Amino acid sequence: MAGMTLVPGKQEQLRLVGWLRWRLLVNGLRTGRGKADLVAKIIAGVIIGTGALGLGPLLGFGSWYAISSGKRFILPGELWFVFLIWLLVPILISGFGAESDPASLLRFPLRYSTFVLLAFAHGILDPVAVAALYWLLAMLAGIAVASPSALLWAIPVLAAFALLNLLLNRTIFAWLSRWLAQRRTREIMGALLILLMFSFQLVWPLSARYGKRALPLATRLASASRLLPPGMAASAITAGHASRAGSALADFAGLLACSGVLGWLLSIRLRAEYRGENLSEARQETSAGRSTVRAGWNVAGLSPTVAALFEKDLRYLIRNSTAYLTLLTPVFVVIVLSLGHGGPHGRQLSFIRSSSVFFPLSVGYVMLTVVGLVYNSLGYDGSGLPMLLAAPIRFRDVLVAKNLLHTLVVVAEVLTVSVVGWFVVGPTPPLVLGLTLAGTLFVLLTNLAAGNLVSLYFPRKLNFGQMRRQQASGMAVAASLGTQVLLAALVTGMYLLSRWTGHLAWCGVAFLVLAGAAWVAYRHMLGLASNIALKRREVLMAELSRPG
Amino acid sequence: MTDLAVETDGLCRSFGELEAVRSANLRVEAGQFFGFLGPNGAGKSTTIKMLTGLLEPTAGRIRILGLDLVSNPVDVKSQIGVVPEGLALFDRLTGPEYLIFAGRMYGLDRVTAAERAQELLDFMGLADRAKSLIVDYSHGMKKKLAMAAAVIHGPKVLFLDEPFEGVDAIAAGTLKAMLNRMIARGATIFLTSHVLEIVERLCSHVAIIDRGELVAQGSIDELRSGVSARHADGQKLSLEQIFLEIVGGERAAVPELSWLE
Repeated sequence: MAGMTLVPGKQEQLRLVGWLRWRLLVNGLRTGRGKADLVAKIIAGVIIGTGALGLGPLLGFGSWYAISSGKRFILPGELWFVFLIWLLVPILISGFGAESDPASLLRFPLRYSTFVLLAFAHGILDPVAVAALYWLLAMLAGIAVASPSALLWAIPVLAAFALLNLLLNRTIFAWLSRWLAQRRTREIMGALLILLMFSFQLVWPLSARYGKRALPLATRLASASRLLPPGMAASAITAGHASRAGSALADFAGLLACSGVLGWLLSIRLRAEYRGENLSEARQETSAGRSTVRAGWNVAGLSPTVAALFEKDLRYLIRNSTAYLTLLTPVFVVIVLSLGHGGPHGRQLSFIRSSSVFFPLSVGYVMLTVVGLVYNSLGYDGSGLPMLLAAPIRFRDVLVAKNLLHTLVVVAEVLTVSVVGWFVVGPTPPLVLGLTLAGTLFVLLTNLAAGNLVSLYFPRKLNFGQMRRQQASGMAVAASLGTQVLLAALVTGMYLLSRWTGHLAWCGVAFLVLAGAAWVAYRHMLGLASNIALKRREVLMAELSRPG
Repeated sequence: MTDLAVETDGLCRSFGELEAVRSANLRVEAGQFFGFLGPNGAGKSTTIKMLTGLLEPTAGRIRILGLDLVSNPVDVKSQIGVVPEGLALFDRLTGPEYLIFAGRMYGLDRVTAAERAQELLDFMGLADRAKSLIVDYSHGMKKKLAMAAAVIHGPKVLFLDEPFEGVDAIAAGTLKAMLNRMIARGATIFLTSHVLEIVERLCSHVAIIDRGELVAQGSIDELRSGVSARHADGQKLSLEQIFLEIVGGERAAVPELSWLE
């Protein structure tokens, strides 16, 4: 046997990893999808980058003004802005999906130092980190112009602040990757993200309603924030500038201590990853337990096949934390609307709280949100799809089961918003109720017919518990959007016309006639579905059953 | 005349300019344990997908149990079971939920489906994981579950694409026991596998596909005598030797690697 090879040095390993990333990028451009992805990233990069560049002078000016005028709230405000952007945006962009993982390189003789450097390189090369570093430099420039002597403290403090942010970013991602490696924790994280997003929606209406009462609490929180990294960094700079070296040193030491804690937390994860850890899905359930098998559901009025498919789809929906976002959003927004009358747009929005407007508007919003599911209804079937194609069933039954579930969801949501409406604005007038329900029936049937076709022609695989890249195909989105615009224009136009002519009841009749026509179209579509699925089975399997 | 379980005439499938399967004429008699062999990329999975209705042939005819697959897809599918390449599992169901679902898709009533699901879970050693979602199963467990789903309705013909790939010896033993039981009760099994020792032990008949073309077909003994006649050294050839001889000995010759010498 020939001689053993030497493990390449750190620089060579980093160069090789750089080459690998470059090849992955270049090879990714071989497909149309990869090229489109790159173009989209470039466009987004230019737009966001322009915004980020524009913010630099603004932050620089702010720092200059803070040091020159002695306004104490400006520097902490700017540093909080940088801190929150650096902390939250990468997480929200990643959509709780795992980022490119240096651990995948551990099969090679990678040195620990190279592994750590790679983890930091991921953090420092992140566009958000680059923008944040640029903002910090701009702030430094502002401080330098205001008072060059302030740089003595500003340079080390902002450097420590940048290091802390980098460590925080890496620590969060390292632990997120750990939690995202297993299905259960991944789905819990997804649900937490959804809750977080909902919470943000509540900030404005709640502050509008309870703002004055919450002011003392907000003031206390603001003073407590001084003990957090952005507050400490700002204090260190201003204290240093005011020649209070002891106070500046204490804040600076606080920053370094926080960085030390984060570095320690990060090193726990990195060492565990480097040593190798088994995070396979199968490991977690050792006592899953034996149980007696219970027969499937028997749904009255449905054929056994459709009942079984409906049961499967309902179980899938219940086990899909991402779908909760779609299902909860309309109800949540209706609640937000009902709270929001105290805000700056209170008067303009007060018409929403009219009993004849609240229900139709809420139902319209429900339809807009929920019908998105219809246009990629096979998305979550994924690897199971070949089983449906190999089974002795008509594919129309698959779509019927899905449409029944979609209808059930719409009914549940409409009922929920009507109950909310009852409490918020009182009972909906019967004529408005009837008109809304007739219009909803028409819109739902039209969407089901169109959505079934689009699902067969433009399917896209969706993954459970993942927010990132969880969209239907571009064509499906366009078709859905186009249909909603047309339907909204038609329904609103008919309503306004009948209101203008004073024959609102006729509008309801027209909606019912249209619903009848939509039903005929829906039945016709179902008649075609099995043949379309048969003809398009290869596309369906290639798109929906592909791994990853 | 013997009943044919699987019969193809001039079966072809192209992907663009690539001819994945070229004019294959397969004959599998009812009750046979049939191995379908070939090197990587030879067209095995493409063929099995066409035979199970998952892929449309570019040309040719497929008859399963005497029924034309294109004109009677539902009748054919109700009599066959399939374990396709990717296993085709709904991984957000539990094992029992999936088996009952599969049984009902193949026309079993809900009670029968549940009874058979319980039996299959016991037989496959999966009963202790009845509450786990399939996504949390190991690869071997998924394979056993896919196999259970494929046989829950008692198919007359079973198509298995690489059933033993990634399966440990214990699980493989369970699967083999079940397949032998099916053969004993008259079913036909059509499997692809790279593990030639298993194929030799289980199958009575094989076909070999190479670069899209069916290059050999018959009982293992028939193939052996055909190859032995060329060698005439009296040695009983293993299926691996027959396979290597048929798909091209020159490709099987291992070139040298300079740094390993």
